[in-house]
Amino acid sequence: MIRSLIIDWAYFLSTSHNYQATKRFFYNLLENDKYRFKKYFDILMITLIMISVVILIREVKSHVNDFLLFFNNFVISIIFLIEYLLRLWVSGSVTEIIIKQNDYDTMLGQDFNLFKATRKVLRAKLSYISSPRAIIDLLAIIPFFHQLRLLRIFILFRVFKLFRYARSFQTFSSVLSTKKFEFLTLGMFASIVIFVSSVLIYVMEANNPDSPIDTLYEAVYWSIVTISTVGYGDMTPVTDEGRLVAMVVITAGIAVLAFTTSLVVSAFTEKLDEIKETKSIDDIRKLKKFYIVCGYDNIAREVVKKLSIKNDIIILDEDSTRAGIAHKDGYKVLNYNPGSVESYKKLHVDMQTQVKAILCLRESDVANVYTSLTVRSINKDVYILSLLMNDINRKKLLFAGVNEILYPKELVGLIAKEFVGKPVAFEAIHGLRSEYSNINIEEIVITERMLSNFALVSELNNIKYRLVLLGVYKNNIKRFYFNPIDSTILEQGDYLVLIGNSVFIQEFEKYLHKSRK
Amino acid sequence: MKVSALIFGYNDYTLQIAKNVVHKYQNITIFKLETDPLRGELEEYDVELFDLSDEWTSLEQKHDLEKSIVFCVLEDIAENIFLTISLRASFENLTIIGLSNNKESANKLLMAGANKVIPIVQTTASIIAEMLDKPIVTDVLHSILYEKSDLKIAQIEVNAHDCFDGKYPADIEWSRDHGIIVVSVMHADGSSEFIYSSKSQHHPIEKGDVFVVVGYENDIKNFEKLIGGEKCL
Repeated sequence: MIRSLIIDWAYFLSTSHNYQATKRFFYNLLENDKYRFKKYFDILMITLIMISVVILIREVKSHVNDFLLFFNNFVISIIFLIEYLLRLWVSGSVTEIIIKQNDYDTMLGQDFNLFKATRKVLRAKLSYISSPRAIIDLLAIIPFFHQLRLLRIFILFRVFKLFRYARSFQTFSSVLSTKKFEFLTLGMFASIVIFVSSVLIYVMEANNPDSPIDTLYEAVYWSIVTISTVGYGDMTPVTDEGRLVAMVVITAGIAVLAFTTSLVVSAFTEKLDEIKETKSIDDIRKLKKFYIVCGYDNIAREVVKKLSIKNDIIILDEDSTRAGIAHKDGYKVLNYNPGSVESYKKLHVDMQTQVKAILCLRESDVANVYTSLTVRSINKDVYILSLLMNDINRKKLLFAGVNEILYPKELVGLIAKEFVGKPVAFEAIHGLRSEYSNINIEEIVITERMLSNFALVSELNNIKYRLVLLGVYKNNIKRFYFNPIDSTILEQGDYLVLIGNSVFIQEFEKYLHKSRK
Repeated sequence: MKVSALIFGYNDYTLQIAKNVVHKYQNITIFKLETDPLRGELEEYDVELFDLSDEWTSLEQKHDLEKSIVFCVLEDIAENIFLTISLRASFENLTIIGLSNNKESANKLLMAGANKVIPIVQTTASIIAEMLDKPIVTDVLHSILYEKSDLKIAQIEVNAHDCFDGKYPADIEWSRDHGIIVVSVMHADGSSEFIYSSKSQHHPIEKGDVFVVVGYENDIKNFEKLIGGEKCL
């Protein structure tokens, strides 16, 4: 009976939308660094910790307001307790364990083994409870029992909780953990030296009435102070033998200090690229919309230069030299292979919403086909533009799913045709397109707000802004209306194609947004 | 009026240029180096051999260089510059269009005497950036420039004396009255000005001004009749 109730309950919870959504929300809030509200939660917790520590310090020699004490002892502690319980809750799924056990038993034709399932649940939860972070969290709650004055010191454990909220601490500890073996060796060496020198100094000095070192505790204290190269000077050996020991300890101390420094430095040097990469990926994740440029050859370099004025760009190039050049040019670059699915997984970006377009700009058709195919295998809709270096590969690029192909050699032919045909017109149009000219050709999309004021072309008043309205692009029927008549009706999503001074175009756009009333 | 196109270079660029200018010139001659491997699609045109150390006497004898336009599209940029400088040294008035990889080689080609340089990298990059930033504008401009639609761009010279009676380009409602859009005005000194620029606004329309206009073929023809003739219609 109980067994079937437990199984029903497990299935109910695992299929309950509300329960799962709530659990997911708390998991994201507590554990998911990518969740946008987590940082606010972290800031709140850090503030509570700092308040706790300030109250502790203030309490040593002064009277603290009763309300603050109440806030510290109860409110903060209860918040921490709730946080601890929530973390315990999201640290694994009890229902999943029960359902798995039930499935397993059903498959073998046995009754549901409640004992086994309970054991697994306890093991999972205990493994969380016994983790260093959970222990710190638990100890940080203890000041709640404020009657036990000694336990107040546990407030300091709240400071350790900072490790959980500040990512730089986590990075620091993860970097140092890569040199675990070296630190262990160093620790062993330092411990042996401290142990041997403490015993020796005690033997040499303890019976000398002039020596300040009388006990083994004082000998250990002296050894640690000396080996760490701190050397307070409050205790110094007076016998020749003791001084000999001091010389050995001082020499060992220099070695220990040098070794420790070099270990920390080398750990950071080795991990520097990784840390930078993690930082870059974090920055990329925060971007709302951006282009991904695959490859950093000559054309890509120029494209990025132009596009980066108004857009965010991410460059992927597997060649470290080219990636280095892109980095020197001041762009966000990752030394990843754009033809590998793994690269996009590492990026953790949403192709659908974050990526404006993928630009395959390697000057190699093989590389561009490969990259396009990789991107298409991840997302079917993202817009891909690719360079084509040899016309015989056009079909291959189309087959790989490229939306737009640009063949520079064909472009040269078209430019030559236009130039020999209408040189003045050619120069005029290129003048409009040139970034160095003040006169520009721009498109302005008609928004709902604009429509409320300007329903017809005749109402636009572009002449006042010295702008030529070349035409209106009707987005719903994908057609360009050149030189539209005054009674042309404007619709939301239409584009105005305007020629004029770029400053006037900006002013005109502002005017369109403003209410005329 | 140029009647011949001489294309130096035996590669994909040659093919694209030849394909695009074939309607414009009576003769197209492609010049190849002896080391260039044979390419079927290029052999459909007249192909001649040349050498970078040529004195160009045979070129002068065979072709009317006054009526020819030359494209220097060798893939080796150093050779292309050498070819340009060598042609310019021999023929002062020859129209030379050169192909360059980047701005640096474009400057060198201009210094070597090319009249017009097409920088491949910059041009391609500009078009890619425009396609992404201003897709509608790019589409419209390309359809006008590369004649993919009925819209045309034309340059029309004002020949009539008294058509505009001292009016300024911005004063006239070109689009309503003539169905065309005047984009810019080219003055006698060769500089091209946007119709609403301050220089154009202080410059009344005179005989000899060249208008760059966009419009449908019939409207352009009518406009050409109006201002291109001796008398105002």
